[in-house]
Amino acid sequence: MMANPFEQEKAVEIAWCPGCGNFGILRALKEALFELGYEPHQVVLVSGIGQAAKLPHYLNANVFNGLHGRSVPVAFAIKTVRPELLVVAESGDGCMYGEGGNHFLHAIRRNPDLTVIVHDNQVYGLTKGQASPTSEEGFVSKVQAMGNFSTPFNPLSIAIAQDASFVARGFSGDVEGLKKILKEALSWKGFALVDVLQPCVSFNRVNTYGWYKERVYYLGEDHDPSNRLQAFERSLEWGERIPLGIFYTHLRPTYGEKLYTQIPRSHLLYQGMLSQEGIAREFQRLM
Amino acid sequence: MVDWSIKVGGAAGQGVQTVSEILALMLKRSGYYVFSLEDYQSRIRGGHTFTHIRLSDEPVWAAKKYLDLLVCLDPLTHGLHRHEVKERGFILGSFVPVGDASNSHHFITIDFEKEAIQLGNKVFANMVAVGAISAILGLAPELSEAYIEEVFAKKGKEVVEKNKLAFRRGRELVGIDPVLPQKGSIKSDHAPQFLLDGNQALGLGALFAGCTFYSAYPMTPSTGIMNFLASRAKEYGIMVEQAEDEIAAINMALGASYAGARAMTGTSGGGFCLMVEGLGLAAMTEVPIVVVDGQRPGPSTGLPTRTSQADLLFVVHAGHDEFPRFVFAPRDPQDAINVVRRAFYLTEKYQVPAIILSDQYLADAKVSYRNLELEEIPDFLIQVSDSSEYCRYALTPSGISPRVIPGGRALVVVDSDEHDECGHLTEDLGVRIAMHEKRMKKWEAMKKEMRMPFYAEGKDMTLIGWGSNWGVLQEVRKELRAEGIDAGFVHFNELWPLPFGLREFLVRLPLPVVVENNYRGQFADLLERETKFSFPVRITRYDGRPFLVDELRERVKEVLHDGQSV
Ligand SMILES: Cc1ncc(C[n+]2csc(CCOP(=O)(O)OP(=O)(O)O)c2C)c(N)n1
Ligand code: SF4
Repeated sequence: MMANPFEQEKAVEIAWCPGCGNFGILRALKEALFELGYEPHQVVLVSGIGQAAKLPHYLNANVFNGLHGRSVPVAFAIKTVRPELLVVAESGDGCMYGEGGNHFLHAIRRNPDLTVIVHDNQVYGLTKGQASPTSEEGFVSKVQAMGNFSTPFNPLSIAIAQDASFVARGFSGDVEGLKKILKEALSWKGFALVDVLQPCVSFNRVNTYGWYKERVYYLGEDHDPSNRLQAFERSLEWGERIPLGIFYTHLRPTYGEKLYTQIPRSHLLYQGMLSQEGIAREFQRLM
Repeated sequence: MVDWSIKVGGAAGQGVQTVSEILALMLKRSGYYVFSLEDYQSRIRGGHTFTHIRLSDEPVWAAKKYLDLLVCLDPLTHGLHRHEVKERGFILGSFVPVGDASNSHHFITIDFEKEAIQLGNKVFANMVAVGAISAILGLAPELSEAYIEEVFAKKGKEVVEKNKLAFRRGRELVGIDPVLPQKGSIKSDHAPQFLLDGNQALGLGALFAGCTFYSAYPMTPSTGIMNFLASRAKEYGIMVEQAEDEIAAINMALGASYAGARAMTGTSGGGFCLMVEGLGLAAMTEVPIVVVDGQRPGPSTGLPTRTSQADLLFVVHAGHDEFPRFVFAPRDPQDAINVVRRAFYLTEKYQVPAIILSDQYLADAKVSYRNLELEEIPDFLIQVSDSSEYCRYALTPSGISPRVIPGGRALVVVDSDEHDECGHLTEDLGVRIAMHEKRMKKWEAMKKEMRMPFYAEGKDMTLIGWGSNWGVLQEVRKELRAEGIDAGFVHFNELWPLPFGLREFLVRLPLPVVVENNYRGQFADLLERETKFSFPVRITRYDGRPFLVDELRERVKEVLHDGQSV
């Protein structure tokens, strides 16, 4: 079998805790990219800041590792300027839904052709265990010493409410299942959200592998992803039973597709300064 | 020589802008040099707004305080501005003449709105006013009517005819002989050809530089740049994105630039505050970007529609830790075109951010020119590479690493964390030192790149300014010289880094007087810090309005009179 080109030749020291759910996501992503036939130079991984956001350094690809919460605006611009590249924005739940919440909402409105992968460990890993937007009510940490007072952010419901083009949930404890979802998401034309349940073995003592394994199940044949109301209803399910899979899909024109009917895509890549004729025309207009 | 100042005032929504725009263009077509400056409040209707229009046979760059003609679209304008009208100046519009000064003014009372209603609709009031003004000034009616035809052609014959009628009605009602010699020919090879404002010019500069990506969040006074580029987006292939906030705007621009677009963003001080983390990202990832800060008074929201030069020290230092950046401040719209082009060139050459300090005065004031000149500027075409050994941050003697864009086999890895030569994050402190030195090393070469300020000699004293104060300082210098004061003039449009050899230059200047639109004299402070040469004489203005020629001249004379003890 051919070697996976996304595997790094020189082993890079990985800064994740042993046993972390991030490893499953990394493996699923590498394999998904390979199985879909991509080569590293065709892929740009954009991330924010956090433990999850280090992922792009652990595989072979183009990387833009930017600011906390800001992966999506960067990814949106890269994808629109260079639609031939596969662009993935990837980060933690704090990064994507907390600091970057506003960008998340507005990216859904724009519907760029991006895959957004969120490592949802319901905690801030890198800053050592504070509640994240998806932490459950009552979650206790050094900061939330009296227990988290806030209702968790429900990324799936919010994305469906905003009519996001593709909304899915995976579990990093099931790499095969996650890989299947990622392959769908990466092949999807439009904004594709994959929220990945990712156990943090260091700071989240509630949502452990075992806790998830008892609860997760895949949406079955009876689930129709084109049915928005049904998808919304399933997205509210959380507790004893936690559904995984593709909740909602709505194929609609992407930002790029709309833009390119007005401006040829090749024009967005810098091709040199404006021609003398163009300059003369502009001067004429000013007269 | 003709040198007239006109003020057109009224409530927002009444058409002050329409009247002034049409008038400025008619004046330019008639062969006058014009300068026009809007003064408006942060509201859409009501309140008080005015436009200052100056016309002359010679190029003009700034407004004057005293008026030859005051046009009142509402009675409040008369109340607020009649004291500015010169003796034997004209006051036109609907108002009840009051005050002692009345005797020395010519009053021409016309109720523009009433006349317009008689012509069928009050929308024609503006054209009645334009007609009346053109009669007072002696603009050739054929030329003006031809202009009206052009402007309203799209709206149909009837609209054109009605506007012409309104224009003629305005002319008739004036009932006096024109005050200025009739102008009507633009054939003269001295006449102005172009009329443009700073925002248009900043947009043009970006367009000429081949900018393909502009993202911004609306904020006065920079919104005009986005409007301009959007108006050209389809024709030239520019992606203009209204971001959800300034943080997104700068991050989008960085993403676009990384991908291979020429990217720019624009905002004003408050928005720039939000962008600062992104500015550091540009520095750390060494992704080129041009950022325009259209200054307005603050802190915080301040005076949204007024002007200021008070962000200088902020943008020079903005960001945590240290990193080099370029800071420019165009002198006028013509200069703004070249400054943006140069900013794009330098941001790419050094892979450091370039910031352009504009302000409301530069952004909104319209200036007429005989010619527009474009400087020669080298081009950079960044391409993909197939080199499998490529490392984005390769250490080089200059600190500048070869840059490619993603898509070739060479992988482009950029990181906001400290990184190694290949862009991967590192906590190796030796690598940290090497990388930090690499970024900082560019500084020396950047300093060499910077040009010495513009200098016009004078024996008695020297006016020093930067950015949009170019015009007013030049005119003040001219007036001082006419009065026998041999004033020199030093002007900076390249602010940071400061060029080498500045101290030697500054120490030779007779009595330097720094003029700035901020409280403390920020540029003087910066020069003092960098050159160890002190500037005790500073003239500042921070009420949100620009310096006016005659006012500033008097303040300079006071300073001279008081000696150097300010
Ligand atoms: C502007 C800014 N604020 C705060 C931080 C500090 N910070 C780094 S990572 C992080 C949270 C990370 O949590 P999450 O996104 O859930 O990722 P995880 O580490 O759990 O994978 C924070 C607050 C930062 N780097 N930048
Ligand atoms: S802190 Fe948690 S999320 Fe971060 S690497 Fe360790 S286990 Fe994983």
